[in-house]
Amino acid sequence: MTYFLQYLLIGFLTGGLYSAFAVTVVLVYKATHVASLAHGQILAFGAVFFYWCIAVLQLPISVSFLVALALAGVLGFIIERLTMRPLIGEPLFTSFLMTFAVFMFLDGVFNLYVAGETRFIPPFLPQGNMGIGKLIIAEQRASNFVMTLLPALIVIGFFKYSKVGLRMRATAENHRLAQSAGIRVKNIFSIIWIFSSILAAVAGIGCATIMNIHYPLPYNGLKGLLVALVGGLDSIGGAILAGLLVGVIESLAAGYVDPLTEVGGTSEVVAYVLLLFILLVKPYGLFGLARIERI
Amino acid sequence: MSVILSLKNIEVTYSEVILVVKGVTLEVQEGSIVTLLGANGAGKTTILKAISGLLVSELGKVTEGSIEFRGIPIQRESPENIVKMGIVHVMEGRPSFDQLTVEENLIVGASSRTNRPTEIKKDLERIYSYFPKLKALRKKISGYISGGEKQMLVVGRGLMAHPKMMLLDEPSLGLAPLIVKEIFEIIEFVNKEAGTSILLVEQNALAALSISSYGYIMENGRIVMDGVAANLKDNEDIREFYLGLSKVGKRKSYRHVKHYRRRKRWLG
Ligand SMILES: Nc1ncnc2c1ncn2[C@@H]1O[C@H](COP(=O)(O)OP(=O)(O)OP(=O)(O)O)[C@@H](O)[C@H]1O
Ligand SMILES: [Mg+2]
Repeated sequence: MTYFLQYLLIGFLTGGLYSAFAVTVVLVYKATHVASLAHGQILAFGAVFFYWCIAVLQLPISVSFLVALALAGVLGFIIERLTMRPLIGEPLFTSFLMTFAVFMFLDGVFNLYVAGETRFIPPFLPQGNMGIGKLIIAEQRASNFVMTLLPALIVIGFFKYSKVGLRMRATAENHRLAQSAGIRVKNIFSIIWIFSSILAAVAGIGCATIMNIHYPLPYNGLKGLLVALVGGLDSIGGAILAGLLVGVIESLAAGYVDPLTEVGGTSEVVAYVLLLFILLVKPYGLFGLARIERI
Repeated sequence: MSVILSLKNIEVTYSEVILVVKGVTLEVQEGSIVTLLGANGAGKTTILKAISGLLVSELGKVTEGSIEFRGIPIQRESPENIVKMGIVHVMEGRPSFDQLTVEENLIVGASSRTNRPTEIKKDLERIYSYFPKLKALRKKISGYISGGEKQMLVVGRGLMAHPKMMLLDEPSLGLAPLIVKEIFEIIEFVNKEAGTSILLVEQNALAALSISSYGYIMENGRIVMDGVAANLKDNEDIREFYLGLSKVGKRKSYRHVKHYRRRKRWLG
């Protein structure tokens, strides 16, 4: 039982990271109807900016954190301006492919920078262990969970209760109607890209504190899209739950299935199997709104 | 009286090839209600979209002529700027933000103007005084309200922008006579009280002409007749084609009327 709970807990804490990735993707999708692959790279660049501030500029951790978020916001803003805005009015699939192109381009830049090495983020979160009954929790994991998910919740609250948030939700529902109500839809897109990029950077820093910065980091970001698909691309609550779910299932697979196989690593595959299965049964994800867009 | 809106010889094309509006000239005097009548597919909605800038998202374009609002050409402005300048387009089919509540829908209507909670509150009270029904529904998700309530909502949302000019596309479509009366009364009231100029597109010709001062009749992308509303209401052709009344006040079927082809006279 303790074994089970232990893996459940680890999965839950890791899942928080997935949730945070997924929320960024959902925010962009809801507002602009584009599923962004670019955010996988923005996530990785958030971590790089953070590392760069600490290691190169020798800034204090908290300042580095804020600077990294600001730089990621600028990066998101630039990507939106240069690659998304000119495509407004074109088929959405074109925009989707564009985010793929942006991903590949930034992947090149990222690999040039990383150059096959690993950059270590100095430990800045509490390093001890704490126990609840027989369970052991790495304090770093727990604080990481809070650090990544809390900003996501704040942004969600902002969109739910502020005037800008209301405009964003109106835009998400119907671009043309929003325009006719006097909403500057393009500005809303900018705001969304900035906020989602900041959140992606937080998730990236969270991710890098666990796995450091090396070549697969952006692909972890892509997992956000996967998780968002599981939850339903337009549901923020769905993204959070799906993140936790994927985390828990991966962790349980690592705890129960991996020991049975010689090489292990089943946990890596589980998420994809889950996705395939869920999409077959529920094409709009667990919590997505069913829309009839095809015959 | 000055002209608030003037269309000079405009031509509208969809997808670069489909010519839908062919040389339309039209004027709205400041503070007046003007009606635009015409059969289905005549191009009425297209004209409203040309004014409000909403053509662009449908690959439509004003290819000839000019549209001026208070003397300023607006056909190159974005829809958001046009709202900001004071023109609100209440679209056909009364689309609302279905997942937002009634009150949120109204607040969204003020986007072009203000963020101040006190001002928004004042405006909401004003709209609720026009449409008391909306007040009772204000916490309701707007996707679930009835057609009549929705029409009140979209007119109310338009008014939240404090428009100088409102474009109303078939507000009476599919509504019971009592609701139509209520909505037309509010339109008239807003026009009188706030001096809001109104360009009204309607199938319900009689109701529309009775609150208007001037009317235009459109067919196949052209204005085929225009005149003072009272005269149009008495005009024999209009009575036959739009009001379905013959000289002796008897109803005639539209097909029967077409048989005479009297509309040729409008073109000649
Ligand atoms: N986006 C579009 N692309 C191509 N053709 C269009 C488009 N929108 C409208 N049309 C065509 O333009 C013509 C005029 O349409 P419009 O909607 O302006 O008519 P309407 O007078 O408002 O008709 P109704 O009374 O039925 O609302 C129609 O023949 C229609 O098929
Ligand atoms: Mg129409």
